[in-house]
Amino acid sequence: MEQIVRWAKFVRENNISVWKPQVNALIDSQIIMANRFYSNLVKTKEGKLKAEKLLRRKL
Amino acid sequence: MDRKIHNKSLLEKFVEDFVNIVEKYCKYIIVSGFVAITHGRTRGTEDVDMIIEKLEEFKFTQLHEDIIKNNFICVQSDNPKEIYEYLKDNISVRYVKKNTFVPEMELKFAKDYLDEYQIKTRKMLPMSGLSIYFSSIEANIAFKEELLRSEKDLEDAKHLREIYSDKINKDEIEKIKGEIRRLRLK
Repeated sequence: MEQIVRWAKFVRENNISVWKPQVNALIDSQIIMANRFYSNLVKTKEGKLKAEKLLRRKL
Repeated sequence: MDRKIHNKSLLEKFVEDFVNIVEKYCKYIIVSGFVAITHGRTRGTEDVDMIIEKLEEFKFTQLHEDIIKNNFICVQSDNPKEIYEYLKDNISVRYVKKNTFVPEMELKFAKDYLDEYQIKTRKMLPMSGLSIYFSSIEANIAFKEELLRSEKDLEDAKHLREIYSDKINKDEIEKIKGEIRRLRLK
């Protein structure tokens, strides 16, 4: 929780242009990596079943 | 609506694309994790939670068709009648952009007074840098601390309390927590 408070203070005390790029980089990389991972996973029959289970949807 | 913000994340663009469609048909709010993330919380998420006003089937079908026209798919079904039945039964439905796996928009109808209250008191939050409607910071904190309570949720609440330390209405948080206990934890 200490780290949460420290970072929140940084966000509160600095302009959005300072902290936003750092947060965006993290979020974008997560989405890009997850989509790349699932795209590769569904290329095999077994992988497709695993992806369906993980994503709770029919692919 | 003109949404002037630069350097948006893929997640924010995804949400704005979806909101641009939904707002033509009904009032909506974005709740929970995305609220914390747009306020600088450094954590990932695979889904964004949206609550909308209860719609008649005809109007929902129009909304769904517009969503589909804009390159989203519903992961549970292609049939708007079936999707509407889920929503009517208070089951959320999930939409993703065609040919992607994440993120997902988790959409549900307002199911009780608490959801309706959140829609009624919805706010744009300038600190997020986005021109979209969120449930109030007080409501988000109350839900995370009183109902959801996972480690991630408690950290989100702590983050929001710190960000809005000089602005939050503590009485409002307690009032909403009381309603949560009355309506969701009975």
